[in-house]
Amino acid sequence: MKPFAYARPATVAEASRLLGRGSPAIAGGTDLLGLMKGGIAVPERLVDLSGIEGLRGWSRERGAGLRIGALTPLVDLEEDDRLARSLPIVREALADAATLQLKGMGTIGGNLLQRNRCWYFRDEAFPCWLKGGIRCFAADGESHYHAVVGTDAGCNRVTPSDLAPALVAHDAQVRLASARGTRTVSVADLFTDPALHRREEHTIRPGEILTHVVVPEAGLQRRGTYRKAMDRKAWSFALVSVAAAARVREGRLRDVRIVLGSVAPIPWRALEAEQAVEGTTVDDAQARRASELVLRDAVPLKDNAYKIPLARELVRRALLRLAGA
Amino acid sequence: MLGPGAADVAFEVNGHPASVHVPPHHTLLDALRDELGLTGAKRVCDEGTCGACTVLVDGRPTYSCMTLAVACEGRSIETVEGLAHDGQLDPVQQAFIATDAYQCGFCTPGQIMSVVALLRANKAPTAEDVHRAVAGNLCRCGAYPGIVEAALRAARARRR
Amino acid sequence: MKSDHARVVRTRVEFEGEITDELALIQGDDVEAWPEGAALEKVGRPTPRIDGASKVTGRARYTHDLRLPGMLHVRILRSPYARARVRRIDASQALALAGVRGVLHRFNAPKAAFRGEETIFRDEVRFVGDEVAAVAATSEEIAAQALRLITVDYEVLPHVVDLEEAMDDASPRIDEKGNVEEAAKHERGDVAGALREADVVVEATYRTSTQLHNSFETHGAVATWDGDLLTVHESTQHVFGVRQGLQAALRIPYGKIRVLCENMGGGFGSKGGVGKYTIIAALFARELGLPVRCVLDRGEENLAAGNRSATLQRVSVAVKGGRITALAHDSWSNAGQGRWVADPTGPTKGLYDVPNVRARSYKVMANTGSLSAFRAPGYVEGTFALEAAIDEAADRARIDPLELRRRHAAGEHDPMSGLRYSLKRLIDCYDIGAKEIGWSRRKPGGLRGSAPGTRRGLGMASQLWGGSGLPPAYAMVHLNPDGTAVARIGTQDIGTGTRTIIAQICAEELGIDVDAVRVEIGDTDSPYAPISAGSLTVSSIGPAVRLAARDAREQLLEIAAGIMEVPKTELRMQRGSIGARGALRSIAKVFEDLQNYTVIGRGARMPNPEDVSMKTFGAHFAEVEVDPRTGEVTVERVVAVHDIGRVIDPLTARSQVQGGVIQALGFALTEERHVDRATGRVLSTSLEIYKVPTVKDVPKIVVRFVDVPDTEANNIGAKGLGEPPIIPTAGAIANAVSNALGIRVRHLPLTPRRLLQLVAAAEAEGAGGRGAARPS
Repeated sequence: MKPFAYARPATVAEASRLLGRGSPAIAGGTDLLGLMKGGIAVPERLVDLSGIEGLRGWSRERGAGLRIGALTPLVDLEEDDRLARSLPIVREALADAATLQLKGMGTIGGNLLQRNRCWYFRDEAFPCWLKGGIRCFAADGESHYHAVVGTDAGCNRVTPSDLAPALVAHDAQVRLASARGTRTVSVADLFTDPALHRREEHTIRPGEILTHVVVPEAGLQRRGTYRKAMDRKAWSFALVSVAAAARVREGRLRDVRIVLGSVAPIPWRALEAEQAVEGTTVDDAQARRASELVLRDAVPLKDNAYKIPLARELVRRALLRLAGA
Repeated sequence: MLGPGAADVAFEVNGHPASVHVPPHHTLLDALRDELGLTGAKRVCDEGTCGACTVLVDGRPTYSCMTLAVACEGRSIETVEGLAHDGQLDPVQQAFIATDAYQCGFCTPGQIMSVVALLRANKAPTAEDVHRAVAGNLCRCGAYPGIVEAALRAARARRR
Repeated sequence: MKSDHARVVRTRVEFEGEITDELALIQGDDVEAWPEGAALEKVGRPTPRIDGASKVTGRARYTHDLRLPGMLHVRILRSPYARARVRRIDASQALALAGVRGVLHRFNAPKAAFRGEETIFRDEVRFVGDEVAAVAATSEEIAAQALRLITVDYEVLPHVVDLEEAMDDASPRIDEKGNVEEAAKHERGDVAGALREADVVVEATYRTSTQLHNSFETHGAVATWDGDLLTVHESTQHVFGVRQGLQAALRIPYGKIRVLCENMGGGFGSKGGVGKYTIIAALFARELGLPVRCVLDRGEENLAAGNRSATLQRVSVAVKGGRITALAHDSWSNAGQGRWVADPTGPTKGLYDVPNVRARSYKVMANTGSLSAFRAPGYVEGTFALEAAIDEAADRARIDPLELRRRHAAGEHDPMSGLRYSLKRLIDCYDIGAKEIGWSRRKPGGLRGSAPGTRRGLGMASQLWGGSGLPPAYAMVHLNPDGTAVARIGTQDIGTGTRTIIAQICAEELGIDVDAVRVEIGDTDSPYAPISAGSLTVSSIGPAVRLAARDAREQLLEIAAGIMEVPKTELRMQRGSIGARGALRSIAKVFEDLQNYTVIGRGARMPNPEDVSMKTFGAHFAEVEVDPRTGEVTVERVVAVHDIGRVIDPLTARSQVQGGVIQALGFALTEERHVDRATGRVLSTSLEIYKVPTVKDVPKIVVRFVDVPDTEANNIGAKGLGEPPIIPTAGAIANAVSNALGIRVRHLPLTPRRLLQLVAAAEAEGAGGRGAARPS
């Protein structure tokens, strides 16, 4: 790592003043330090958020939804039985995420803001588009783990976060605070729309701090489930993941959300499949039909066509689980 | 604000106060190995994927290669060197020997720290609990069956 | 001992599948092997490692951990191109950086022979990661910073990295002779005729991927000069090999080189000798007069520290009248820039009694890092292809695959040499394994899995390897006046428990506790011992240790006989005492008057017998559950049965088998080097992308040994166990998956991606409603 200065502010306001280009925030550090060791991120100053009080833990107030402090370690969320009753998908999504050590160090905010794992992006030697270059090396290179859909901008990265699809499926939002004030955006909108052709993965602005994740009441009314396919039994980013959530009454699914991870540069909504099961009671045949609508627009690369049947199968299983549980 | 030059960082290591003079870009693993001579924690992947550098920070198993030393100011660090007392090995260490839970031994200190953390939180772990605790500690020799056996054996010994 | 004179004998040795005749210097006479059923007190008993406490306390010191006063650190500049000519190097800015002490590269480094080349920095670099320059500085950080200040003018040349592309005539030629070179061939009987007349012929193509060792302690060395004496600490499987490499590179006498390896964090075949990093450390240390440390990082380890070659293999199996009548096996291995290649056809030639066999093996050059031996090189890859093809043939011929193998596994003579086996218990391995796994449950087409849509299968594969050990190996054992002993031998413990085994054998012979033996190894100032590789450590050094301990015991008894005034023949040593008919005297008591008189026992490894073939055999059985819709394979159980002669320490032997199975599990399911073909860069240089098994991947592993001593092989009756447990696992798993799905697995690792591709292809093919996952 290149030398840098280090600040550990005690308040959001102070932190916000210190943040900026070349001066990013660090929380758990499990992603950022990796990028720095690889020469991908070269900050002049790190702003350590861990000294800020009040951004750890979670609360649920009637009518106000669920509020989780961005600095809450993932393992605290996973192990919390009360939280698992309020929003079971969090425990499910975290069960196969990372390792115990990384979950103890990493935070929910950092999990959402982690950068993609593309092996061309992470290798300093490849001047890929996302790093300011002119092309995507995966497009005609090795593409086992890359996107099959939503790659308009010519970057074939995928979202690695396990929590992102799960939170999108529950219409979660994030609070972003800065010296200029606070704004709330949906977790879905935290990810930069690839169609905008911006060389960034997240919409958080320089100087902003992700302070909370909020799941509104409507989102909490949904039952959710998470499915993840990996190429070994632990400690792997998803080959494909699926979060599905819906209000379930008498077996009927409403407000259905089907969100795929690791198939696109953003958490990817399977809108056609959502519509196909909206208002229905899902049986085997129905789940199969709906799953076949998933990723119909996908254009796989040389090595990643397998993700399409895999995503469909995970969607089918997730829907059956939703309907059956 | 610290750095980019070296600054004093004080923390507790294995129950004793320690202080190192390091720049902000040095990790806890750097500080332990290079400044304090505690070479039990190993540098294997150096990017938070293998667990060989696992130590306990305020009791929590932590990849020291992905932890900045400056961020450890005032914290309590435990390493494999601090487990034995008066020549008496910790039950986890004893169990690792009894079940032959290693081959080359390079990942062993990290494995042991993960198991120690587990047993403090969970007096009667199942094999599945052990799997969760050490899934972030890779072993290239494949000593996993012995490691799981050792964890369960140490838990039994502790309960007795 | 009667004939104490040294003499040179010719002996047949086997190392990693290669059999050669070599000369060995020996002295003294051998003793009979402990017979089957001998009442041994230490050998054969589960014995915790004598160095266990050092490993669990973090005290065990590895090369990585060494910190010497004034020590400098080296970082290596590596080629970013798969092939290029180094035209010019400008290191002036690097040298100007504070803390930088030196830079070495092809234009200023002294000549230093390395693996057939004259210099360690090539003018034409041939893979991404090839050494271009090295910087020594006061810290690793400064050295790394300096690398960025070196400017190199490269002339980029055309390259090829992929095995099958390199075999294509249209690809760039790396070598004037072409990229493909015949490495081994064998033919016996009439293969063409047998194929013509067969009832069933299976011909199939198999592929295996490049596996990376990923030793947890990366390759590295620390070099110091004290005057003209060079001391090198190195993480190695062969301290004497490193010494030899240094002697060749630096042209200094052996007497001026000492190589040490106290502990080492995994090698798996890749740490067989000197590395460029060793020579670089030694050169800098000599030039700068300070200790120099050169240790690779994880990325470098996966570029330039060896690998198991990817292979392309074609296997044909002919079956007639319920027996295999012919095997044909052609194999191509990607050697990268390696100068040799392992032979995947070894098992085809020697495992089964088949009259007609044709085997050819080719080395293919490519612009990737050199292969290096990786635990049973060739045999892991080849056993998978052979055993998968035999299963295909058995299925086609409607014979139980285990039964088909049994018909060819009972032979008492080695089909390659015609020699009688000293011991072969392969059928016992089959019997034990089949019973343990419940082989009778196996059904063609597999079984239903535990969840809807999942399938379950059983598979097995056999193992052949050498492991009989070889001379030369020498040991010294001396006794302290209190009856404790020190064993000294120039071997090294690579994680297998070598120290413990030496202590057990000494303790056995001396009648003292294992704890009473201190073992000094990992030092070239000790008597020579061979490389710890090829499953030959125990069978090479064990017999020498036994003779040395025995020599010490005989001397002590001689002394005791004089002191106690009892004929020596009536004296026995046991539990730290010497006794005769009721009279018992502790060793310490015997020494009371002699005090510092030192009893020194010597032992040499005797030559191998000429008239027998000494092999290890085994069989693995696997039970898997497969989810054909997610591509997930779960290996639930592996039963590993091995015939390795006498088991010295059942505790460490069990670990060795479990470890082999788990490494093979990675080879079978998850481990694969990914290379960007356009640039030749390795993409999977990290342990995040290169997936070694985690604790959760590990099946229940049942370990069984036949445990009958091979009394003809050597005086301890033991053969090696390093390689055997990694050899048959992948074949057993692949056959179990094939059984579960009714789809042949021909490409490893069987990742979800590959499995889903197989299922999709089978479904596309499967007309008439014959679903791929539900074979008839």
